[in-house]
Amino acid sequence: MPDSADKHTTPAGSEPLFEARGLTKIYNPGTEAEVRALDGVDLDLFESELVVLLGASGSGKSTLLNILGGLDVPTDGTLDFRGESLTEADERALTQFRRETVGFVFQFYNLIPSLTARENVTLITDIARDPMPAEEALALVGLGERMDHFPSELSGGEQQRIAIARAIAKRPDVLLCDEPTGALDVKTGITVLEAIARVNEDMGTLAMIITHNAAIAEMAGRVIHMSAGRITEIHTNTERRPAHTLVW
Amino acid sequence: MRSLDLKLIRDLRTMKGQMLAISLVMACGLTMLITFRGLIVSLETERDRYYSENRFADVFCDLEQAPNSLRPRLEAIPDVAAVETRIKGAATLDIPGMDDIAEAVMISLPDERPQRLNLLHMLRGRFPEPGSRNEIVVGEAFAEAHAFMPGDTIQAVIHGSREHLRIVGIALSPEFVYELPPGAIVPDNKRFGVFWMNERELANAFNMDGAFNNVVLAVSPGGDINRVKEELDRILRPYGGRIAYDRSEHTSAEWVEMEIESLRAVALAFPIVFLAVAAFMTSAALTRLVRLQREQIAQLKAFGYSSRAIGLHYSKFVLVAVAAAILVGAVGGYLAGRGVIVLFHQFFRFPSLTFHPDYLAVLLGVVASAATAFLGVLAAVRQAVRLPPAEAMRPEPPAKYSPSRIEVTGIQHLVSPAFRMALRNLERKPWQGLFTAFGLAMATAIPILPGAMRDGMDYMMDFQWRLAQRQDVTLGLIEPGSYTAFTSMRNLPGVVEAEPFRSVSARISHGHLERRISLSGLTQDARLNRLLDAEEQQVPLPLSGVLLSRKLAEILDVGPGGVVLLEVQEGRRPVVAVPVAGTITDFTGIGAYMDIDEVRRLMGEGRTVSGAHLTLDAAEWDRFMVKVRESPRIGSITRTRAARESFDRMMGEMFGLAQAIYFGFAIVLAFGVIYNGARIALSERTRDLATLRVLGYTKREVAGVLIGELALLTLLALLPGLFIGSQMASAILEAASTETTRFPVVLTSRTYATAVLIVLASSLVSFAVVGRRIHRLDLIGVLKARE
Repeated sequence: MPDSADKHTTPAGSEPLFEARGLTKIYNPGTEAEVRALDGVDLDLFESELVVLLGASGSGKSTLLNILGGLDVPTDGTLDFRGESLTEADERALTQFRRETVGFVFQFYNLIPSLTARENVTLITDIARDPMPAEEALALVGLGERMDHFPSELSGGEQQRIAIARAIAKRPDVLLCDEPTGALDVKTGITVLEAIARVNEDMGTLAMIITHNAAIAEMAGRVIHMSAGRITEIHTNTERRPAHTLVW
Repeated sequence: MRSLDLKLIRDLRTMKGQMLAISLVMACGLTMLITFRGLIVSLETERDRYYSENRFADVFCDLEQAPNSLRPRLEAIPDVAAVETRIKGAATLDIPGMDDIAEAVMISLPDERPQRLNLLHMLRGRFPEPGSRNEIVVGEAFAEAHAFMPGDTIQAVIHGSREHLRIVGIALSPEFVYELPPGAIVPDNKRFGVFWMNERELANAFNMDGAFNNVVLAVSPGGDINRVKEELDRILRPYGGRIAYDRSEHTSAEWVEMEIESLRAVALAFPIVFLAVAAFMTSAALTRLVRLQREQIAQLKAFGYSSRAIGLHYSKFVLVAVAAAILVGAVGGYLAGRGVIVLFHQFFRFPSLTFHPDYLAVLLGVVASAATAFLGVLAAVRQAVRLPPAEAMRPEPPAKYSPSRIEVTGIQHLVSPAFRMALRNLERKPWQGLFTAFGLAMATAIPILPGAMRDGMDYMMDFQWRLAQRQDVTLGLIEPGSYTAFTSMRNLPGVVEAEPFRSVSARISHGHLERRISLSGLTQDARLNRLLDAEEQQVPLPLSGVLLSRKLAEILDVGPGGVVLLEVQEGRRPVVAVPVAGTITDFTGIGAYMDIDEVRRLMGEGRTVSGAHLTLDAAEWDRFMVKVRESPRIGSITRTRAARESFDRMMGEMFGLAQAIYFGFAIVLAFGVIYNGARIALSERTRDLATLRVLGYTKREVAGVLIGELALLTLLALLPGLFIGSQMASAILEAASTETTRFPVVLTSRTYATAVLIVLASSLVSFAVVGRRIHRLDLIGVLKARE
């Protein structure tokens, strides 16, 4: 059932993790090149839910994800995480927020080529407060066997799973995935989505996946549609489909 | 082409820091090349011009006395083009306001005809009028030191009689380009001068009417100088002739050659280092640029631009760097060269020593460094244009890495991932790392030379004037005297200790190798003028046999146990074969030493002395000097402290400047190399670093990753740099070591520490500059795109 009216409805009935009000992001304000990437977004996100953010290119979904992940700051509006304002946080606090709370997965993996799979994960466990062992994180994404390989020796799907292992090793509260399957074929994409789903279920991490692939939306609890910097629709799936049953 | 040039300008603007660093390093190399080569060419040109225009003689000879009627015989020697017979003597000068006596060497000018050889270059005033009384021409250096002008008078004691000399002219002479007091190694223009006077008058003063005691000859082009010398020796032998010598043993000429030689020693090595490093920097920076612009190159090719046009486009980057370097290097080299020429004027008196760039050397330097840089770029461009456009438009495959070899040791478990990244990056591109390390090693090496020279100079002064020559004053008699002459010197007021010496001029030979030297007879228990070995230990004077300066032994190719032939040029001119008992260490001149009684026995004399080394009670100095001035027999006085002071003064300025320049160059090199390396590393790793920032690494931690690799290279470069610097300094000092001066190679921790500090400080500054770029990393942009 589509539900775009009551934004305060909580799937689990709990307090929201993120609380965004009137989030606005304008690039190059006051110039001819002014772009209104986000235009007054109100959104609550809750622990343990799996959210898929759907939209065409330029709809503002990446900007939203970047602001949620502390990579960018809004031009206007407020964003709280567990009741603490992220809009008023300084550079240092945002770095700390990313370090402790957020796991990122990107379309192009962004692994460090000079480090092995295990070492790419260690990169995070070295600085996190309460990380799991790198080996455990890799085992969670099914890469326990290939830990000592360098990125150049792994397939795209394997590289993306290292990226997921790297993102979850710190036991993040939030897992933000920007087009995680964008550079992968269907079969590999599905293994990656399975890994994300498993983390979401096993660890209770809030997972948000950005995609323009509508098929992926079927595995989500909630699906947020964006267009021209606004949320046009949020609907809750009555039934979540397991990743391995998806087709596109 | 126009739009490609626009692209060139825009690209240059984005990499201006790097281009500046490259151009500066190259400019340093060119500055050095232009300065050094220019100085060499300027000295050589002016020397050749001056020697030829002012007819500098080829052969020189002193004698006791010969009649002027001998001149036709000298002129008849085959291959002799011109002969000038002269009277040469010493005078002591009494200059108001000086607590010291000054000395002058007096040389006769022909009375009623112009000079034939060693023509004076008159700067001010005129020659003495024929038949005039006490008119003299004074050498410029001495006149300048005392601000003498034509018309001024000087009180002098010439051959025991007091005269008022009137300056009528101030001049330069090709035989006194470097005006050195006898036995000294740096000019002392206050205490030593050269005077020229009419021959008849000087003959009167020295009791030499119708006679001469000095002859100079010009040898016709292609003539056999050695035969002329032999013939001259043969003719003058009955007249107490000393050994004839040519320009290679002429004090002033020898010092001019030495200066040119020591410039040659540095003129090539250092510029090559800088130009080579700059060529590598250009190549590394542009290879990176070409790789970054791989897709642009593919597009250009797809649009129909030829590989040549694209190659030309990237070559223009090199062209810009080289052009900027030439501009800065030319101006810098020209200004530095002109500055050094001004300093040279204190030492070398030429009529018109001006700075002439050596255009050929500069051209070669520019072409060579540009060619190296072009070659480096060419390889990268060729690689880029060889790919079919469609393939090139796809990003490069991910970089392949493997565990670094050092990790076999298990070290990876001990170090952070950041350090591991550094190690693996280095091992993946060993050449890039190696060249950066090489550049840094050279930057470490360069300040070693001036440091070693400074410390060598300090050591040399300490060795010479504190350990070896401990006298305050050395008095020389005009003629060798009896022992009473020594006792009267010992009894001068204020004398604490006195030590006699007997020195004679001699030719020393071993096989076909020979030199003119002064053979010094010293006392067995010498406490003042001591002979030392390299370990600063006194070398015992043998009862029979001779000790040689190590340099002299080297020249004669003889060692302890060998036998040399001594041909004394005074008195009854004995010729003896003497065993070499050992060698001694000294840093200036070359000499031979014997027991004083051996020398006397050789000469068939009693207890003769040539002079005495004295230590004095400083409080008695004035009374001592009054007595010395009154004594007609004392021909020379050498003050050790004054020698040290003049040395300090003359060399201090020179070395201060040289050191500052070398330090400046080392800083530019270190900064340039690290900055360039850091910019390339930053560009190669922007994506990794931004990723780390996204993952929650702080700016400081990210900077640590980037800088770790460079810091590792810097640390790796330091030790080899110190080693290379030490070797280079030793080689250069060795090459600059001559019969006149030798610099000991003294490498102190101070020199090493300075070199290390220069490199570390330059590194830190360039880290800071690059570190600021980490603040501006585009975190979001980098995640959106493949590399």
